[in-house]
Amino acid sequence: MNQAAVRANRRKLVILAVIVLLCAAGYMFYAVNFGNSKLFHYSMKLRSPKLIVMLITAFAIAGASLVFQTIINNVIVTPCLLGMNALYSLIHTAVVFVAGSTSLLATNSNLAFVVDLVLMAVVATIIYGYLFEKTQHNVLYILLIGTVLTSFFSSIQTTMTRIMDPNEYDSLLETLVASFENVNAEVIVASLVVLAAVIFVLRKELALLDVISLGKEQAINLGVDYDRCIRRLLMGVTLCIAVATAMVGPISFLGLIMANLARQFLKTFRHKQLILASTLFGMAILIGGELIVERIYHYAVPISVFIGVFGGIYFLYLLLTNRRV
Amino acid sequence: MMNVKNLVKKYDGKTVVNSVSFEIPKGKVTSLIGPNGAGKSTVMGMISRLIARDAGIVMFEDQDISSWKSKELSKRLAILTQTNNIQMKLTVRELVTFGRFPYSAGHNTAEDEKIIDQALAYMELESIQDQFIDELSGGQRQRAYIAMVIAQDTEYVLLDEPTNSLDIYHASKMMKIVRRLCDELGKTVILVLHEINYAAFYSDYICAFVDGKIAKMGTVKEVITKENLAEIYNVDFEIMEIEGRPLSIYY
Repeated sequence: MNQAAVRANRRKLVILAVIVLLCAAGYMFYAVNFGNSKLFHYSMKLRSPKLIVMLITAFAIAGASLVFQTIINNVIVTPCLLGMNALYSLIHTAVVFVAGSTSLLATNSNLAFVVDLVLMAVVATIIYGYLFEKTQHNVLYILLIGTVLTSFFSSIQTTMTRIMDPNEYDSLLETLVASFENVNAEVIVASLVVLAAVIFVLRKELALLDVISLGKEQAINLGVDYDRCIRRLLMGVTLCIAVATAMVGPISFLGLIMANLARQFLKTFRHKQLILASTLFGMAILIGGELIVERIYHYAVPISVFIGVFGGIYFLYLLLTNRRV
Repeated sequence: MMNVKNLVKKYDGKTVVNSVSFEIPKGKVTSLIGPNGAGKSTVMGMISRLIARDAGIVMFEDQDISSWKSKELSKRLAILTQTNNIQMKLTVRELVTFGRFPYSAGHNTAEDEKIIDQALAYMELESIQDQFIDELSGGQRQRAYIAMVIAQDTEYVLLDEPTNSLDIYHASKMMKIVRRLCDELGKTVILVLHEINYAAFYSDYICAFVDGKIAKMGTVKEVITKENLAEIYNVDFEIMEIEGRPLSIYY
């Protein structure tokens, strides 16, 4: 039974992977002029960075959301509900505000990326690490504090933008409200490096996720160095969110949708499979959604609107059906 | 061997455990009893490293418990609390498999599987081993967790209110299991209990707490007397002897 369930889940994962490949192929080759090699190359040049960004984003958000839910021991939270996106906007704004949009910090996107990541990781780990300890991982408090922090960060950010030079604000806005039409493709390599580093540094902690999902007491009982482990994982979550946000901007409910679809689909506790499934769901949603947005709606409606609407409905459904929240 | 000296815990300046010292007899069942807020669960948390202590020493096998490697300690000492809410879809067998985690870190050998089978058989869980934990009754779930502790194969087993929220049938069955853990498997069991009679009938030693201090500690017969219980609980007691053990009556 045990092994059979694992095998059945593997089959499901293969099916998901095939769907993702189909979506990707559809996205890349829909309405492409194969006859003219120049036009073909031009289309590929436009589309492939977007595709890569979507794949990376899906993985970053999926991993971050699942790990975060396991840390909090609750399946309806996402790092976005805690204001990590708002924090990112704030830090990004603060960098431009202090150093100016023409400074090297803002014009060199790789350097800006690194600065964002470092600041974000330090600030988020201090704030959230402290809060989790203080509230003893009480989900309701954490969500409440997250809501308050979101408006707190946004207020500071708004204040900065108001007293900012209008031209500076203009160039800043481009990086703050990004979508897939406006991906930040220059940081693809840097993102991959960061994600790989996160996975490498946290490889031991990631292997402990299954045990951590049993709860704090059981994890300690089974020999997990809990506090240190949670701190490090939280740092990883922050970096992943920062990577995703840096490339495409805030997509709030995507992580929640992906993680819960994966849980419902696989009905397992194994995080390797869950992270893989939720990454694949994310890829399918993003690529499929973008295909629809670009080819059917002709860019009239951005994909974040769809994700917001359907994500919101799904969130309500989870709240109403999950009796253990 | 477990030796506790001058244990202190304060919450917001209020002392809940005040200079507690005792020694746990090896190979015996020891129950911690006392009224609500006497600090018995906090003591349990501190001797099992779940709760940080403010002062004092917890010596476990001639080494302070905080200087043990977490992983090594988890092969020697197991703790089961009442806050077990799992959000995952987990079967009974998978839960019991986690008991082998300190040894195999998720890659079980045939030997591990054998121990898991034995633990399941010992708790009579074979027929429901593929059911999900969240679909079980309270008694079955409790037994599944005990099976996990058995699979963890530790000399010391700490149970925080194992009879809590169980009915009389399952609670007395749980206490018989505790007895078997000690008598058949040779484990040292430490319990926090609310029911005095369960403590009196199924344990060897009793440690009674009042206001963060140990009021009485000794064998069951030494501690469970009319005078002692009246002093500990501030309620009048009658003691009857049944099967050579003191049964307390209160109302």
